[in-house]
Amino acid sequence: MKITRLSVFHKNLPLKDPYWLSGGRLRFDVLDATFVKVETDTGLVGWGEGTPWGHTYVPAYGPGIRAGLQIMAPVILGLDPRKTGLVERAMDTCLPGHLYAKSPVDMACWDIAGQAAGISIADMLGGRHPEGTWIASSVSSGAPDYMMGIVQTYRDLGYRVHSVKVGGDIEADITRIRHLEEQRLPDERILYDVNRAWTRREASIVMNAVGDLGITVEQPCESLDDIAALRSVTTAPISVDESLVTLQDAARIARDGIADVFNIKLNRVGGLTKACRIRDMALAHGIQMYIMATGGSVLADTEAAHLAQTIPAEFRLGGWSCQEMLTVDVAPGRGARNIDGQLSVTDAPGLDVAPDEDSLGAPIAVYEG
Amino acid sequence: MRISRISLWLVPLTSHEAYYMAAGKACDTVETVVIALDTDDGRTGWGEVCPIPHYLPAYSRGVAPAVTELSSVLLGTDPIGPEAVTARMEAWLPGHPYAKSAVDIALWDLLGQAAGLPLYALLGGQRANELPLYYSITCIAPDEMARIALEAQNAGIEQFQVKLGADANWEADVARLVQVREAVGLGPLVYGDWNCGSTSLEATRVGRAVRDLDVMLEQPCASIDDCARVRSATGLPMKLDENAHDMASLLEGHRLGCMDAVAVKLSKFGGLSAARRVRDLCAHLGAKMCVEDTWGSDITTAACLHLGASTDPNYVLNVCDLSGYVAPRLAPDGPVRQNGTIAPPEGPGLGVTPDRAALGAPDLILD
Repeated sequence: MKITRLSVFHKNLPLKDPYWLSGGRLRFDVLDATFVKVETDTGLVGWGEGTPWGHTYVPAYGPGIRAGLQIMAPVILGLDPRKTGLVERAMDTCLPGHLYAKSPVDMACWDIAGQAAGISIADMLGGRHPEGTWIASSVSSGAPDYMMGIVQTYRDLGYRVHSVKVGGDIEADITRIRHLEEQRLPDERILYDVNRAWTRREASIVMNAVGDLGITVEQPCESLDDIAALRSVTTAPISVDESLVTLQDAARIARDGIADVFNIKLNRVGGLTKACRIRDMALAHGIQMYIMATGGSVLADTEAAHLAQTIPAEFRLGGWSCQEMLTVDVAPGRGARNIDGQLSVTDAPGLDVAPDEDSLGAPIAVYEG
Repeated sequence: MRISRISLWLVPLTSHEAYYMAAGKACDTVETVVIALDTDDGRTGWGEVCPIPHYLPAYSRGVAPAVTELSSVLLGTDPIGPEAVTARMEAWLPGHPYAKSAVDIALWDLLGQAAGLPLYALLGGQRANELPLYYSITCIAPDEMARIALEAQNAGIEQFQVKLGADANWEADVARLVQVREAVGLGPLVYGDWNCGSTSLEATRVGRAVRDLDVMLEQPCASIDDCARVRSATGLPMKLDENAHDMASLLEGHRLGCMDAVAVKLSKFGGLSAARRVRDLCAHLGAKMCVEDTWGSDITTAACLHLGASTDPNYVLNVCDLSGYVAPRLAPDGPVRQNGTIAPPEGPGLGVTPDRAALGAPDLILD
């Protein structure tokens, strides 16, 4: 089997509500999505998506995906998409770094590999566990009662996991955390997501002030060095998100005991092929995981749901459903959908969701060979 | 003063001699990216970045999309005070330092022109005029490399970077170091560079085979940990390049004791603003610096020479006249080497005048 054509589509995915990144990092109201259609000489077709969370969050932006695909397309065409490691190697040799540009191609190759084998991506990646993945809500920062109102709205929709954004004024953060923990239900899980906003000093003050509550804090400071330093003066469990990019990062976190939880975002780490290695590193060290898209449509959510469902339930803390934040749906009714607060994948072959091509407009680039 | 227009050109640079490195990497014809920032008072600041394909996480066709993304930060902005502008660029588009490097150099050019001072004066003052050059010897047969070294030495060069690993033959790498060392005699600096292409085992075999010689090793393996193992197993001094790309990695290289020298390539860090901070840190850590960039022509070369000239000479290993390795020249008045050394331009800003007419129509205009 050979890849004969790559078609690249650019689509803006408007958000229902504008989003402010914590730490004052700019507002955005639309996600810049890149969809990649990979065609083969056998007629099998795979789909990939790369949708960064705005351009100010981590080093990734939509035009950079499309520029990277232009450079990599010549080395991808002609490869067997089922041999995902060879496709990965070809992309890494052609263009060091720029993992976010590679992940849509990797995703489409896994889609084809699964279809060719007649089994789902989750089964290709090790096997699908029966339990669905809890979807984490996204609760923006504000006054404690305002935040509790958002939590309640999600509760009513069946959510049991919440990602609560903190990382502002530290006295207010302490109040927020105490307020939410008081009202947290016994079967609920709250992840306090700082998105790098605290300094080391601020993080140590907040985490020690709420040290009696047993909360988990995500990405409290900017870097792994910061978090490692924080580790020696705090006891709250830590999840690493933005600072987990490569397998080397995962190895360092695991070996040095820097964190207890990985948040693996597929576009950031370069796709399923690389994410699986990070997953295995976590499992080997007793590290629990959240598995998510960086953002995007039901395609990106479904990709993440496949990987998530390969993880034993006791190591799987949650996922995300970005699709629900959008005003458009590129594959209505298909793919992994929120059912009672969970995303699940089936055992249908491959990714098991393709977009309505008409909804994507004309491709902005087509590479053939 | 406000930035009113950004122009960008893609210019193929052809090496006078094709250049081979380990793991199949080569430099023959490479596309450089030239940027002009025009201001509303009629000035033009010039910047350049030239990534080597497949080498670092950087590619020339990635520059235009990033600069387009950054244009909303740049257009209408007062360019005076580059670090204030680069901070806003970093907030708007994290990462992608190579693309920002070209913009940052152009901002410094405008600052220097506005101040009427050459950039070395603004980067700390002129500490040296004549800067030592090294010569990089492509990885081919050992006796050919020794011949090239001798030729360069006759032209005044006293520092030789010997590329290793292109044929994945460690004994040939030993011969390369031995023969170049013999050819140039005692005194000149000789160092062997794998560009990450070796393993710690092979690099240690090479290093132990030449440990009686006065040679330095450069970036044998893909990680700092691996390089540190080679450093301690061979006892030979070591230069880092690819692994040293931000403050954290410089501190790590120093901590592990494998950074006797380091390549300060402007585009790894994000331009002169970032490289100036790196320069100060490296001097503090006691690492000698090769002040250069991945590749490029006159604009890149001028920027590197200004930074090199304003650095404590005790910590300057060498600089590189990249513009002398390639054609075409972008600026007819760019500096050229003389007897193994080169001096920074004297005019305000970068002090070079790229030939805008020769560049032709820009590949991208943002205004």
